[in-house]
Amino acid sequence: MGSSILQFCKRHHLLDFSAYLVLMVGGIILLLKGAEDQGYYWQWFRIPKFLYQFEDGRFIAGPILNGLKITLNITWISLILTYIIGLVTALMRLSNSLMARGIARAYLELTRNTPLLVQIFFMYFVVAPILDIDRFTAAVLALSLFEGSYASEIYRAGIVAVNKGQWEASYTLGLNSYQNYRYIILPQAIRRILPPLTSQAISLIKDSSLVSVIAIYEMTMNANEIASETFLVFEIFFTIAAIYLALALTLSRVVAYFEKRYRVVT
Amino acid sequence: MNTKEFGDYIIRVDNIGKTFDNGVVALKDFSTNIRRSEVVVLIGPSGSGKSTFLRCLNGLEEIDSGSITVDGIPLDDNKKNRLEIRKEVGMVFQHFNLFPHLTVLKNISLAQMLVRKKSRVEAEDETMQLLKKVNIAEKANVFPSQLSGGQQQRVAIARALAMKPKVMMFDEATSALDPEMIGEVLEVMKDLAVEGMTMVVVTHEMGFAREVSDWVIFMEDGMKVEEGTAEHFFSDPKMDRTKLFLSQIL
Ligand SMILES: Nc1ncnc2c1ncn2[C@@H]1O[C@H](COP(=O)(O)OP(=O)(O)O)[C@@H](O)[C@H]1O
Ligand SMILES: [Mg+2]
Repeated sequence: MGSSILQFCKRHHLLDFSAYLVLMVGGIILLLKGAEDQGYYWQWFRIPKFLYQFEDGRFIAGPILNGLKITLNITWISLILTYIIGLVTALMRLSNSLMARGIARAYLELTRNTPLLVQIFFMYFVVAPILDIDRFTAAVLALSLFEGSYASEIYRAGIVAVNKGQWEASYTLGLNSYQNYRYIILPQAIRRILPPLTSQAISLIKDSSLVSVIAIYEMTMNANEIASETFLVFEIFFTIAAIYLALALTLSRVVAYFEKRYRVVT
Repeated sequence: MNTKEFGDYIIRVDNIGKTFDNGVVALKDFSTNIRRSEVVVLIGPSGSGKSTFLRCLNGLEEIDSGSITVDGIPLDDNKKNRLEIRKEVGMVFQHFNLFPHLTVLKNISLAQMLVRKKSRVEAEDETMQLLKKVNIAEKANVFPSQLSGGQQQRVAIARALAMKPKVMMFDEATSALDPEMIGEVLEVMKDLAVEGMTMVVVTHEMGFAREVSDWVIFMEDGMKVEEGTAEHFFSDPKMDRTKLFLSQIL
């Protein structure tokens, strides 16, 4: 019984995936065709040099790969900050201190009810001059504060899902709050927390393209520049879309792995 | 039958009251004093406030009025006092509440190391002693989910004892067990009573209450209805309400 359900799910995934593939390929063909009908002249051969070049047999990254490097840098630093901010905010929301809860609430309301773009501008034009930080740091801070508020909800949900009896047992044994979270609650909550937290990395990669508005030369920014200089609009944007897609698909495999590995057993 | 020597009062409960946020009055003007080595059994219908009483004794619930003192330490807003009381009062729950992600050995050793600051070796030695005491030494390295209910509850008792508490509380420790496993848990509780542990026990096992308890309290609607020694209480209850309850449960 159990194994047949599993098989059905597997087959179902396969079905989903093939449907998705057909849709994508179909969409791309239609687009290419449509562009051609309008007299668009495809020049894919001009694209590789924006990715990389070989000079005297040495590999040299082009603007798109350089941009990708910055995108990845922004993403992993923001991701770590997001996880920390999320955890701290969740613990503050669950704490007994009225002040801690108030600060967490205010932060969540602010970050959730304003657009990310506005937050990036605010960080760059208002906060950065005051704190004297560079644009890269401003971008990372804006992104991680934005994503951190979503991460905090993931942590919170995972933490409160731990059976109340666990808190009580740990309390009666005399554990303090740090020990309680560290040894009892978080090890149990991690099963629920890890998969959605990994999905956040995907949002972060995608959202990181928004920091191009404050002239950070990450992948989207560089693509924009190349496109306006060369008019290879479709080719360039297809290329970076494929790169974003590849990153996101890789990460979603990681999510799927964690989901399987940490399946909640009740 | 009672040849036991009691000490001074270790728990003093003076006129406590507890009303939950939803307006339910769980305890009303409840007072009782418990002596060292005494076994007190609390009985009463469901919802009468028995669990709430136990939970107030170790600070799991806040009282609204009155006062509680455990071994001379007042249970008040002072964090240090509260921590001290949490360490001195062990609790065994109806649903065991073992830590599912830790082995039996770790379940019992963890708080010894974190709270009592023992070394791993010391803690694990003590744990093995306790597991022998509750007749389950061979299960040290398995996870709670691999144990029967009776075995889990015995591990939970060992876990509480590992803190060397001065008082042990049991909240319907056998209610969630299959009938054939109740005996093995009651046996461990009896041994503890014989060794002179101070115990506050909520139970529906009247055989246990009759045989082991020194004092029985019957409560209803958050109030004490009647109390007395086990002999008097079961053979000659005074209140009609007590008689009715006993006739239903015996
Ligand atoms: N956390 C709570 N919030 C609100 N009401 C509660 C809570 N816990 C217990 N109660 C209520 O308090 C009363 C006493 O409950 P309890 O102490 O659990 O009784 P007993 O253990 O004797 O069955 C009941 O009416 C119960 O519904
Ligand atoms: Mg109860």
